[in-house]
Amino acid sequence: MHERLSFHIQRDSFLHRLNPLTKLVLTLTLILLAFTFPWYWTPHLLVLIAVIPLSLLGKVFREFMLTALRLIIPAAGFLFLMQAFFQPIGTDIIFQFYFLDMTSESVLFAFRNAMRIVVMVSAFTLFLLTTHPSELMSDLTRRGLPGQFAYVIISTLQILPQIMAKAQTIISAQRSRGLDTESSFLKRAGSLIPLIGPLVFGSLVEVEERAIAIEARGFTSKHVKTSLHEIPDPTFDKSLRWVLLILIIISIGLNLWLS
Amino acid sequence: MAFVNLQNVTYKYPLTEKPVLQNLSLQIQEGEFVSVIGPNGAGKSTLCYALAGFVPHFFKGEINGEIEVDGKKSSESTLDEWVLNVGLAFQNPFNQISGAKYTVFEEIAFGLENIGVPREEMKKRVEEAMSLTGISELADRSPYSLSGGQQQRVALTSILVMRPRLLVLDEPTSQMDPIGTREVFGVVRRMAEEGMTVVMVEHKVEWIANFADRVIALKEGQVLMEGKPNEVLTSDLLAESGFGISRYTSTAREAKKRGLWKKENLPVTLDEAVKGFKS
Repeated sequence: MHERLSFHIQRDSFLHRLNPLTKLVLTLTLILLAFTFPWYWTPHLLVLIAVIPLSLLGKVFREFMLTALRLIIPAAGFLFLMQAFFQPIGTDIIFQFYFLDMTSESVLFAFRNAMRIVVMVSAFTLFLLTTHPSELMSDLTRRGLPGQFAYVIISTLQILPQIMAKAQTIISAQRSRGLDTESSFLKRAGSLIPLIGPLVFGSLVEVEERAIAIEARGFTSKHVKTSLHEIPDPTFDKSLRWVLLILIIISIGLNLWLS
Repeated sequence: MAFVNLQNVTYKYPLTEKPVLQNLSLQIQEGEFVSVIGPNGAGKSTLCYALAGFVPHFFKGEINGEIEVDGKKSSESTLDEWVLNVGLAFQNPFNQISGAKYTVFEEIAFGLENIGVPREEMKKRVEEAMSLTGISELADRSPYSLSGGQQQRVALTSILVMRPRLLVLDEPTSQMDPIGTREVFGVVRRMAEEGMTVVMVEHKVEWIANFADRVIALKEGQVLMEGKPNEVLTSDLLAESGFGISRYTSTAREAKKRGLWKKENLPVTLDEAVKGFKS
Protein backbone atom coordinates (compact mmCIF):
# COMPACT_ATOMS: atom_id res chain seq x y z
CA MET A 1 0.00 0.00 0.00
CA HIS A 2 2.66 2.49 0.94
CA GLU A 3 5.15 1.73 -1.77
CA ARG A 4 6.42 4.79 -3.54
CA LEU A 5 7.84 5.67 -6.90
CA SER A 6 11.42 6.18 -5.89
CA PHE A 7 14.63 4.30 -6.49
CA HIS A 8 16.37 5.91 -3.56
CA ILE A 9 18.23 3.55 -1.23
CA GLN A 10 19.14 4.89 2.19
CA ARG A 11 22.82 4.25 2.86
CA ASP A 12 25.63 6.18 4.42
CA SER A 13 28.18 6.78 1.69
CA PHE A 14 30.31 9.48 0.15
CA LEU A 15 27.88 9.78 -2.73
CA HIS A 16 24.82 9.96 -0.46
CA ARG A 17 26.44 12.75 1.54
CA LEU A 18 27.14 14.93 -1.47
CA ASN A 19 24.83 17.89 -1.93
CA PRO A 20 21.96 16.97 -4.29
CA LEU A 21 22.87 19.77 -6.69
CA THR A 22 26.47 18.52 -6.86
CA LYS A 23 25.17 15.08 -7.78
CA LEU A 24 22.92 16.57 -10.42
CA VAL A 25 25.86 18.51 -11.89
CA LEU A 26 28.01 15.37 -11.76
CA THR A 27 25.34 13.44 -13.65
CA LEU A 28 25.06 16.11 -16.32
CA THR A 29 28.86 16.30 -16.60
CA LEU A 30 29.14 12.56 -17.26
CA ILE A 31 26.44 12.75 -19.91
CA LEU A 32 27.83 15.85 -21.63
CA LEU A 33 31.38 14.44 -21.65
CA ALA A 34 30.14 11.18 -23.15
CA PHE A 35 28.36 13.06 -25.90
CA THR A 36 30.70 15.96 -26.66
CA PHE A 37 34.29 15.05 -25.81
CA PRO A 38 35.96 14.60 -29.20
CA TRP A 39 37.72 11.31 -28.56
CA TYR A 40 36.25 8.01 -29.70
CA TRP A 41 36.80 6.03 -26.51
CA THR A 42 35.43 8.67 -24.08
CA PRO A 43 32.12 6.94 -23.17
CA HIS A 44 33.83 3.56 -22.82
CA LEU A 45 36.45 5.02 -20.55
CA LEU A 46 33.83 6.90 -18.51
CA VAL A 47 32.05 3.64 -17.71
CA LEU A 48 35.32 2.19 -16.42
CA ILE A 49 36.78 5.17 -14.57
CA ALA A 50 33.61 6.97 -13.44
CA VAL A 51 30.37 5.01 -13.51
CA ILE A 52 31.56 1.78 -11.91
CA PRO A 53 33.81 3.44 -9.29
CA LEU A 54 30.96 5.82 -8.41
CA SER A 55 28.57 2.94 -7.87
CA LEU A 56 31.11 1.41 -5.48
CA LEU A 57 31.68 4.77 -3.79
CA GLY A 58 27.90 5.12 -3.31
CA LYS A 59 27.62 1.57 -1.91
CA VAL A 60 24.95 0.77 -4.47
CA PHE A 61 27.03 -1.48 -6.75
CA ARG A 62 24.65 -4.45 -6.45
CA GLU A 63 21.47 -2.43 -7.12
CA PHE A 64 23.21 -0.60 -9.93
CA MET A 65 24.32 -3.85 -11.57
CA LEU A 66 20.78 -5.26 -11.32
CA THR A 67 19.41 -2.20 -13.12
CA ALA A 68 22.24 -2.42 -15.66
CA LEU A 69 21.52 -6.08 -16.43
CA ARG A 70 17.76 -5.71 -16.57
CA LEU A 71 17.42 -2.37 -18.29
CA ILE A 72 20.55 -0.60 -19.46
CA ILE A 73 22.43 -3.42 -21.22
CA PRO A 74 19.39 -4.82 -23.09
CA ALA A 75 18.39 -1.35 -24.26
CA ALA A 76 21.91 -0.41 -25.30
CA GLY A 77 22.37 -3.82 -26.96
CA PHE A 78 19.24 -3.33 -29.02
CA LEU A 79 20.39 0.13 -30.03
CA PHE A 80 23.79 -1.31 -31.00
CA LEU A 81 22.26 -3.95 -33.29
CA MET A 82 19.90 -1.49 -34.95
CA GLN A 83 22.62 1.01 -35.69
CA ALA A 84 25.23 -1.55 -36.67
CA PHE A 85 22.91 -3.04 -39.30
CA PHE A 86 21.13 0.02 -40.56
CA GLN A 87 23.80 2.73 -40.48
CA PRO A 88 24.67 3.15 -44.17
CA ILE A 89 28.35 3.94 -43.72
CA GLY A 90 31.56 2.17 -44.66
CA THR A 91 32.36 -0.45 -47.29
CA ASP A 92 34.30 -3.06 -45.31
CA ILE A 93 31.57 -5.65 -44.72
CA ILE A 94 32.38 -7.89 -41.78
CA PHE A 95 29.08 -9.70 -41.25
CA GLN A 96 26.06 -10.43 -43.40
CA PHE A 97 22.58 -11.59 -42.48
CA TYR A 98 20.43 -12.02 -45.61
CA PHE A 99 20.23 -8.48 -47.01
CA LEU A 100 21.51 -6.76 -43.82
CA ASP A 101 25.18 -6.07 -43.46
CA MET A 102 27.52 -4.70 -40.86
CA THR A 103 30.60 -2.77 -41.83
CA SER A 104 33.50 -2.14 -39.49
CA GLU A 105 32.63 1.56 -39.57
CA SER A 106 28.99 1.03 -38.66
CA VAL A 107 30.00 -1.31 -35.83
CA LEU A 108 32.35 1.30 -34.36
CA PHE A 109 29.71 3.98 -34.76
CA ALA A 110 27.02 1.86 -33.12
CA PHE A 111 29.37 0.81 -30.31
CA ARG A 112 30.07 4.40 -29.36
CA ASN A 113 26.43 5.44 -29.48
CA ALA A 114 25.39 2.47 -27.40
CA MET A 115 28.06 3.32 -24.83
CA ARG A 116 26.86 6.93 -24.74
CA ILE A 117 23.39 5.66 -23.87
CA VAL A 118 24.91 3.39 -21.23
CA VAL A 119 26.68 6.36 -19.64
CA MET A 120 23.56 8.51 -19.75
CA VAL A 121 21.19 5.98 -18.22
CA SER A 122 23.79 4.79 -15.70
CA ALA A 123 24.52 8.31 -14.53
CA PHE A 124 20.83 8.97 -13.96
CA THR A 125 20.38 5.62 -12.25
CA LEU A 126 23.21 6.38 -9.84
CA PHE A 127 21.73 9.80 -9.21
CA LEU A 128 18.29 8.39 -8.39
CA LEU A 129 19.71 5.58 -6.27
CA THR A 130 21.68 7.93 -4.03
CA THR A 131 19.46 11.03 -3.86
CA HIS A 132 16.29 11.32 -1.81
CA PRO A 133 13.69 13.14 -3.94
CA SER A 134 12.56 15.41 -1.12
CA GLU A 135 16.17 16.37 -0.35
CA LEU A 136 16.73 17.26 -3.98
CA MET A 137 13.57 19.35 -4.09
CA SER A 138 14.13 21.20 -0.84
CA ASP A 139 17.69 21.98 -1.92
CA LEU A 140 16.53 23.26 -5.30
CA THR A 141 13.68 25.23 -3.67
CA ARG A 142 16.20 26.87 -1.37
CA ARG A 143 18.15 27.90 -4.49
CA GLY A 144 15.07 29.50 -6.04
CA LEU A 145 13.07 26.74 -7.72
CA PRO A 146 9.36 27.68 -7.28
CA GLY A 147 7.76 25.78 -4.37
CA GLN A 148 4.75 24.84 -6.50
CA PHE A 149 7.00 23.11 -9.03
CA ALA A 150 8.76 21.08 -6.36
CA TYR A 151 5.40 20.17 -4.83
CA VAL A 152 4.06 18.85 -8.13
CA ILE A 153 7.11 16.60 -8.62
CA ILE A 154 7.18 15.17 -5.11
CA SER A 155 3.45 14.73 -4.63
CA THR A 156 3.15 12.97 -7.99
CA LEU A 157 5.80 10.48 -6.90
CA GLN A 158 3.78 9.74 -3.78
CA ILE A 159 0.20 10.06 -4.93
CA LEU A 160 0.44 8.00 -8.14
CA PRO A 161 0.92 4.73 -6.23
CA GLN A 162 -2.08 5.72 -4.11
CA ILE A 163 -4.23 6.22 -7.22
CA MET A 164 -3.04 2.87 -8.57
CA ALA A 165 -4.04 1.22 -5.29
CA LYS A 166 -7.42 2.92 -5.50
CA ALA A 167 -7.96 1.66 -9.06
CA GLN A 168 -7.22 -1.83 -7.79
CA THR A 169 -9.78 -1.42 -5.00
CA ILE A 170 -12.43 -0.25 -7.46
CA ILE A 171 -11.71 -3.19 -9.80
CA SER A 172 -11.97 -5.63 -6.88
CA ALA A 173 -15.23 -4.05 -5.75
CA GLN A 174 -16.70 -4.20 -9.27
CA ARG A 175 -15.48 -7.77 -9.72
CA SER A 176 -17.16 -8.87 -6.51
CA ARG A 177 -20.36 -7.53 -8.03
CA GLY A 178 -19.87 -9.52 -11.21
CA LEU A 179 -17.55 -7.41 -13.40
CA ASP A 180 -16.36 -9.55 -16.31
CA THR A 181 -12.57 -9.84 -16.20
CA GLU A 182 -12.07 -13.14 -17.97
CA SER A 183 -13.81 -13.16 -21.35
CA SER A 184 -12.66 -11.62 -24.65
CA PHE A 185 -10.43 -8.59 -24.70
CA LEU A 186 -13.05 -6.22 -26.12
CA LYS A 187 -15.64 -7.22 -23.55
CA ARG A 188 -13.18 -6.73 -20.75
CA ALA A 189 -12.08 -3.36 -22.12
CA GLY A 190 -15.74 -2.34 -22.28
CA SER A 191 -16.39 -3.40 -18.73
CA LEU A 192 -13.58 -1.14 -17.52
CA ILE A 193 -15.60 1.95 -18.48
CA PRO A 194 -17.56 1.99 -15.19
CA LEU A 195 -14.20 2.24 -13.46
CA ILE A 196 -13.36 5.56 -15.05
CA GLY A 197 -16.13 7.48 -13.28
CA PRO A 198 -15.21 6.73 -9.67
CA LEU A 199 -11.48 6.90 -10.36
CA VAL A 200 -11.30 10.09 -12.41
CA PHE A 201 -14.03 12.08 -10.70
CA GLY A 202 -12.99 10.75 -7.32
CA SER A 203 -9.42 11.90 -8.00
CA LEU A 204 -10.63 15.35 -9.06
CA VAL A 205 -12.56 15.76 -5.80
CA GLU A 206 -9.47 14.63 -3.94
CA VAL A 207 -7.38 17.25 -5.70
CA GLU A 208 -9.77 19.97 -4.53
CA GLU A 209 -9.68 18.75 -0.93
CA ARG A 210 -5.92 18.44 -1.00
CA ALA A 211 -5.69 21.98 -2.34
CA ILE A 212 -7.76 23.19 0.62
CA ALA A 213 -5.66 21.16 3.06
CA ILE A 214 -2.32 22.55 1.90
CA GLU A 215 -3.74 26.04 1.56
CA ALA A 216 -4.91 25.80 5.20
CA ARG A 217 -1.28 25.12 6.04
CA GLY A 218 0.01 28.26 4.41
CA PHE A 219 1.16 26.82 1.09
CA THR A 220 0.68 30.10 -0.76
CA SER A 221 1.98 32.19 2.14
CA LYS A 222 4.18 35.05 1.05
CA HIS A 223 6.69 34.36 3.83
CA VAL A 224 10.08 33.05 2.80
CA LYS A 225 9.89 29.30 3.27
CA THR A 226 12.21 27.49 5.63
CA SER A 227 13.21 23.85 5.56
CA LEU A 228 13.09 21.24 8.32
CA HIS A 229 16.20 19.45 7.14
CA GLU A 230 19.44 21.22 6.72
CA ILE A 231 21.04 20.12 3.49
CA PRO A 232 24.76 20.72 3.84
CA ASP A 233 26.61 22.38 1.01
CA PRO A 234 30.27 22.47 2.11
CA THR A 235 33.09 24.19 0.25
CA PHE A 236 34.14 20.82 -1.15
CA ASP A 237 30.81 20.56 -2.99
CA LYS A 238 31.03 24.09 -4.29
CA SER A 239 34.58 23.56 -5.61
CA LEU A 240 33.64 20.21 -7.12
CA ARG A 241 30.80 21.85 -9.00
CA TRP A 242 33.19 24.46 -10.43
CA VAL A 243 35.65 21.76 -11.52
CA LEU A 244 32.85 19.83 -13.23
CA LEU A 245 31.59 22.98 -14.91
CA ILE A 246 35.09 23.68 -16.27
CA LEU A 247 35.29 20.10 -17.58
CA ILE A 248 31.98 20.62 -19.40
CA ILE A 249 33.18 23.89 -20.94
CA ILE A 250 36.48 22.32 -22.07
CA SER A 251 34.67 19.36 -23.58
CA ILE A 252 32.14 21.44 -25.49
CA GLY A 253 34.85 23.93 -26.49
CA LEU A 254 37.12 21.18 -27.90
CA ASN A 255 34.14 19.70 -29.70
CA LEU A 256 33.32 23.01 -31.38
CA TRP A 257 36.97 23.81 -32.13
CA LEU A 258 37.71 20.48 -33.80
CA SER A 259 34.54 20.29 -35.83
CA MET B 1 -17.18 42.50 20.67
CA ALA B 2 -17.15 38.75 20.15
CA PHE B 3 -14.00 37.04 18.88
CA VAL B 4 -15.90 35.41 16.02
CA ASN B 5 -18.80 37.34 14.59
CA LEU B 6 -21.04 36.30 11.70
CA GLN B 7 -23.54 38.96 10.67
CA ASN B 8 -26.45 37.89 8.41
CA VAL B 9 -24.31 35.64 6.22
CA THR B 10 -26.00 34.24 3.14
CA TYR B 11 -23.90 32.14 0.80
CA LYS B 12 -24.51 30.31 -2.45
CA TYR B 13 -21.97 28.00 -4.11
CA PRO B 14 -21.39 28.69 -7.81
CA LEU B 15 -23.87 26.89 -10.09
CA THR B 16 -26.38 26.19 -7.33
CA GLU B 17 -29.84 27.66 -6.88
CA LYS B 18 -30.40 27.50 -3.15
CA PRO B 19 -28.20 29.28 -0.62
CA VAL B 20 -26.40 26.91 1.79
CA LEU B 21 -26.13 29.48 4.56
CA GLN B 22 -29.22 31.65 4.99
CA ASN B 23 -29.01 34.87 6.92
CA LEU B 24 -26.81 33.17 9.48
CA SER B 25 -25.68 35.16 12.51
CA LEU B 26 -23.60 33.88 15.39
CA GLN B 27 -21.07 35.08 17.96
CA ILE B 28 -18.33 33.11 19.65
CA GLN B 29 -16.19 34.37 22.53
CA GLU B 30 -12.42 33.93 22.70
CA GLY B 31 -11.43 30.62 24.32
CA GLU B 32 -14.88 29.14 23.88
CA PHE B 33 -15.34 25.54 22.70
CA VAL B 34 -18.40 25.49 20.48
CA SER B 35 -19.81 22.38 18.91
CA VAL B 36 -21.93 22.52 15.78
CA ILE B 37 -24.49 19.81 15.09
CA GLY B 38 -27.00 19.36 12.32
CA PRO B 39 -28.48 16.92 9.82
CA ASN B 40 -26.91 16.34 6.38
CA GLY B 41 -27.07 19.40 4.18
CA ALA B 42 -27.52 21.79 7.10
CA GLY B 43 -24.48 23.78 6.03
CA LYS B 44 -22.07 22.59 8.73
CA SER B 45 -19.11 22.07 6.40
CA THR B 46 -19.88 25.29 4.56
CA LEU B 47 -19.86 27.12 7.90
CA CYS B 48 -16.41 25.63 8.58
CA TYR B 49 -15.15 26.75 5.16
CA ALA B 50 -16.63 30.21 5.75
CA LEU B 51 -14.86 30.58 9.12
CA ALA B 52 -11.59 29.35 7.61
CA GLY B 53 -11.83 31.79 4.69
CA PHE B 54 -12.31 29.19 1.93
CA VAL B 55 -15.84 30.50 1.46
CA PRO B 56 -15.74 32.69 -0.53
CA HIS B 57 -12.00 33.08 -1.24
CA PHE B 58 -11.48 29.55 -2.58
CA PHE B 59 -14.94 28.40 -3.68
CA LYS B 60 -16.03 31.80 -5.10
CA GLY B 61 -19.82 31.97 -5.29
CA GLU B 62 -22.10 34.67 -3.95
CA ILE B 63 -21.78 35.91 -0.38
CA ASN B 64 -23.66 38.55 1.58
CA GLY B 65 -23.12 39.63 5.14
CA GLU B 66 -19.92 39.88 7.13
CA ILE B 67 -17.56 37.33 8.68
CA GLU B 68 -15.23 38.71 11.35
CA VAL B 69 -12.55 36.95 13.36
CA ASP B 70 -10.51 38.88 15.92
CA GLY B 71 -11.84 42.17 14.54
CA LYS B 72 -10.65 41.44 10.98
CA LYS B 73 -13.13 41.12 8.15
CA SER B 74 -12.81 38.10 5.87
CA SER B 75 -13.89 40.17 2.88
CA GLU B 76 -10.97 42.56 3.39
CA SER B 77 -8.37 39.84 3.87
CA THR B 78 -6.70 37.33 1.57
CA LEU B 79 -6.73 33.60 2.11
CA ASP B 80 -3.00 33.28 2.77
CA GLU B 81 -3.21 35.86 5.58
CA TRP B 82 -6.47 34.48 6.95
CA VAL B 83 -5.14 30.93 7.43
CA LEU B 84 -2.44 32.25 9.79
CA ASN B 85 -5.21 33.02 12.31
CA VAL B 86 -7.73 30.31 11.51
CA GLY B 87 -6.78 26.64 11.26
CA LEU B 88 -8.98 24.09 9.49
CA ALA B 89 -8.96 20.31 9.67
CA PHE B 90 -11.69 18.37 7.96
CA GLN B 91 -13.15 14.94 7.72
CA ASN B 92 -11.28 12.90 5.13
CA PRO B 93 -7.78 12.47 6.53
CA PHE B 94 -6.33 10.87 3.42
CA ASN B 95 -6.81 14.04 1.37
CA GLN B 96 -5.29 16.18 4.07
CA ILE B 97 -1.90 14.55 3.75
CA SER B 98 0.18 16.93 1.69
CA GLY B 99 1.85 14.22 -0.38
CA ALA B 100 5.02 16.29 -0.32
CA LYS B 101 6.53 14.58 2.71
CA TYR B 102 7.84 11.12 3.44
CA THR B 103 7.49 10.94 7.23
CA VAL B 104 4.87 12.05 9.74
CA PHE B 105 7.38 14.40 11.37
CA GLU B 106 8.05 16.15 8.04
CA GLU B 107 4.33 16.18 7.27
CA ILE B 108 3.56 18.08 10.47
CA ALA B 109 6.43 20.48 9.83
CA PHE B 110 5.09 21.25 6.31
CA GLY B 111 2.90 24.15 7.45
CA LEU B 112 5.69 25.67 9.54
CA GLU B 113 8.09 25.49 6.58
CA ASN B 114 5.53 27.34 4.47
CA ILE B 115 5.21 30.21 6.91
CA GLY B 116 8.95 30.45 7.43
CA VAL B 117 9.46 29.27 11.02
CA PRO B 118 13.18 28.87 11.82
CA ARG B 119 14.47 25.27 11.93
CA GLU B 120 15.17 24.88 15.66
CA GLU B 121 11.83 26.37 16.68
CA MET B 122 10.10 24.24 14.06
CA LYS B 123 11.51 21.00 15.50
CA LYS B 124 10.50 22.02 19.00
CA ARG B 125 6.97 22.92 17.99
CA VAL B 126 6.47 19.71 15.99
CA GLU B 127 7.67 17.58 18.91
CA GLU B 128 5.40 19.43 21.35
CA ALA B 129 2.36 19.12 19.09
CA MET B 130 3.01 15.42 18.53
CA SER B 131 3.26 14.64 22.21
CA LEU B 132 0.11 16.69 22.84
CA THR B 133 -1.94 14.55 20.46
CA GLY B 134 -0.11 11.36 21.42
CA ILE B 135 1.45 10.47 18.09
CA SER B 136 5.14 10.85 18.96
CA GLU B 137 5.79 7.19 18.17
CA LEU B 138 4.57 7.68 14.58
CA ALA B 139 7.23 10.31 13.79
CA ASP B 140 9.24 8.22 11.31
CA ARG B 141 6.36 6.37 9.64
CA SER B 142 5.12 7.26 6.18
CA PRO B 143 1.84 9.20 6.50
CA TYR B 144 0.34 6.89 3.90
CA SER B 145 1.01 3.77 5.95
CA LEU B 146 -1.22 4.90 8.83
CA SER B 147 -4.78 3.90 9.68
CA GLY B 148 -7.64 6.36 9.13
CA GLY B 149 -7.78 7.33 12.80
CA GLN B 150 -4.03 7.86 12.97
CA GLN B 151 -4.14 9.95 9.79
CA GLN B 152 -6.88 12.08 11.36
CA ARG B 153 -4.65 12.72 14.35
CA VAL B 154 -1.80 13.67 12.04
CA ALA B 155 -4.14 16.09 10.21
CA LEU B 156 -5.23 17.63 13.52
CA THR B 157 -1.62 17.88 14.74
CA SER B 158 -0.55 19.49 11.44
CA ILE B 159 -3.02 22.31 12.13
CA LEU B 160 -2.43 22.58 15.90
CA VAL B 161 1.30 23.01 15.33
CA MET B 162 0.55 26.25 13.47
CA ARG B 163 -1.07 27.65 16.63
CA PRO B 164 -4.14 29.29 15.09
CA ARG B 165 -6.25 31.63 17.23
CA LEU B 166 -9.40 29.95 15.92
CA LEU B 167 -9.43 26.19 15.34
CA VAL B 168 -12.14 24.89 13.00
CA LEU B 169 -12.67 21.12 12.97
CA ASP B 170 -15.08 19.36 10.66
CA GLU B 171 -15.77 15.88 12.08
CA PRO B 172 -12.19 15.31 13.21
CA THR B 173 -12.96 11.99 14.93
CA SER B 174 -15.11 10.31 12.27
CA GLN B 175 -12.66 7.45 11.75
CA MET B 176 -11.52 7.07 15.35
CA ASP B 177 -12.27 4.48 17.99
CA PRO B 178 -13.68 5.66 21.38
CA ILE B 179 -10.21 5.96 22.91
CA GLY B 180 -8.99 8.16 20.07
CA THR B 181 -12.15 10.23 20.23
CA ARG B 182 -11.76 10.86 23.93
CA GLU B 183 -8.14 11.91 23.45
CA VAL B 184 -9.02 14.32 20.67
CA PHE B 185 -11.83 15.89 22.70
CA GLY B 186 -9.42 16.12 25.64
CA VAL B 187 -6.77 17.86 23.54
CA VAL B 188 -9.29 20.28 22.06
CA ARG B 189 -10.65 21.06 25.53
CA ARG B 190 -7.12 21.77 26.71
CA MET B 191 -6.43 24.08 23.79
CA ALA B 192 -9.63 25.97 24.65
CA GLU B 193 -8.50 26.30 28.30
CA GLU B 194 -5.27 27.80 26.97
CA GLY B 195 -7.23 30.44 25.07
CA MET B 196 -7.72 28.92 21.60
CA THR B 197 -11.23 29.34 20.26
CA VAL B 198 -12.64 26.10 18.87
CA VAL B 199 -15.51 25.38 16.51
CA MET B 200 -16.06 21.66 16.04
CA VAL B 201 -18.62 19.93 13.89
CA GLU B 202 -19.44 16.57 15.46
CA HIS B 203 -22.10 13.87 15.58
CA LYS B 204 -20.96 12.26 18.80
CA VAL B 205 -23.37 14.06 21.12
CA GLU B 206 -22.29 12.31 24.33
CA TRP B 207 -18.76 13.63 23.89
CA ILE B 208 -20.10 17.09 23.09
CA ALA B 209 -22.15 17.06 26.30
CA ASN B 210 -19.01 16.26 28.29
CA PHE B 211 -16.57 18.67 26.68
CA ALA B 212 -18.14 21.58 24.78
CA ASP B 213 -19.10 24.95 26.29
CA ARG B 214 -21.94 25.57 23.89
CA VAL B 215 -23.83 23.80 21.14
CA ILE B 216 -25.13 25.39 17.96
CA ALA B 217 -27.76 23.39 16.10
CA LEU B 218 -27.87 24.21 12.40
CA LYS B 219 -30.71 23.43 10.08
CA GLU B 220 -31.08 24.49 6.45
CA GLY B 221 -28.35 27.06 6.79
CA GLN B 222 -29.79 28.73 9.86
CA VAL B 223 -29.30 28.50 13.61
CA LEU B 224 -32.20 26.43 14.92
CA MET B 225 -31.09 26.49 18.56
CA GLU B 226 -28.06 27.34 20.63
CA GLY B 227 -27.13 27.12 24.26
CA LYS B 228 -25.61 24.88 26.95
CA PRO B 229 -24.97 21.37 25.59
CA ASN B 230 -27.44 19.67 27.91
CA GLU B 231 -30.25 22.12 27.21
CA VAL B 232 -29.88 21.93 23.44
CA LEU B 233 -29.17 18.21 23.17
CA THR B 234 -32.19 17.21 25.27
CA SER B 235 -34.70 19.66 23.78
CA ASP B 236 -37.86 18.34 22.16
CA LEU B 237 -37.36 20.66 19.20
CA LEU B 238 -34.10 18.90 18.29
CA ALA B 239 -35.68 15.45 18.45
CA GLU B 240 -38.55 16.61 16.26
CA SER B 241 -36.27 18.25 13.68
CA GLY B 242 -34.42 15.12 12.61
CA PHE B 243 -31.18 15.61 14.55
CA GLY B 244 -29.18 12.64 15.74
CA ILE B 245 -29.70 12.55 19.50
CA SER B 246 -28.31 10.39 22.25
CA ARG B 247 -30.03 7.06 22.87
CA TYR B 248 -30.05 7.88 26.59
CA THR B 249 -32.05 11.03 25.89
CA SER B 250 -34.67 9.22 23.82
CA THR B 251 -34.91 6.37 26.33
CA ALA B 252 -35.45 8.81 29.22
CA ARG B 253 -37.95 10.78 27.18
CA GLU B 254 -40.06 7.65 26.70
CA ALA B 255 -39.60 6.79 30.38
CA LYS B 256 -40.77 10.26 31.36
CA LYS B 257 -44.00 9.80 29.42
CA ARG B 258 -44.62 6.66 31.45
CA GLY B 259 -43.68 8.37 34.70
CA LEU B 260 -40.48 6.37 35.15
CA TRP B 261 -38.13 9.36 34.79
CA LYS B 262 -38.72 11.62 37.74
CA LYS B 263 -36.20 14.42 37.09
CA GLU B 264 -36.96 17.62 35.21
CA ASN B 265 -33.96 17.41 32.85
CA LEU B 266 -33.26 14.60 30.41
CA PRO B 267 -29.81 12.96 30.30
CA VAL B 268 -27.36 12.94 27.37
CA THR B 269 -24.70 10.57 28.66
CA LEU B 270 -24.80 7.10 30.17
CA ASP B 271 -23.66 8.40 33.57
CA GLU B 272 -26.47 10.94 33.75
CA ALA B 273 -29.00 8.30 32.70
CA VAL B 274 -27.82 5.83 35.34
CA LYS B 275 -27.90 8.47 38.07
CA GLY B 276 -31.34 9.70 36.99
CA PHE B 277 -32.92 6.27 36.94
CA LYS B 278 -31.44 5.40 40.34
CA SER B 279 -32.89 8.46 42.04
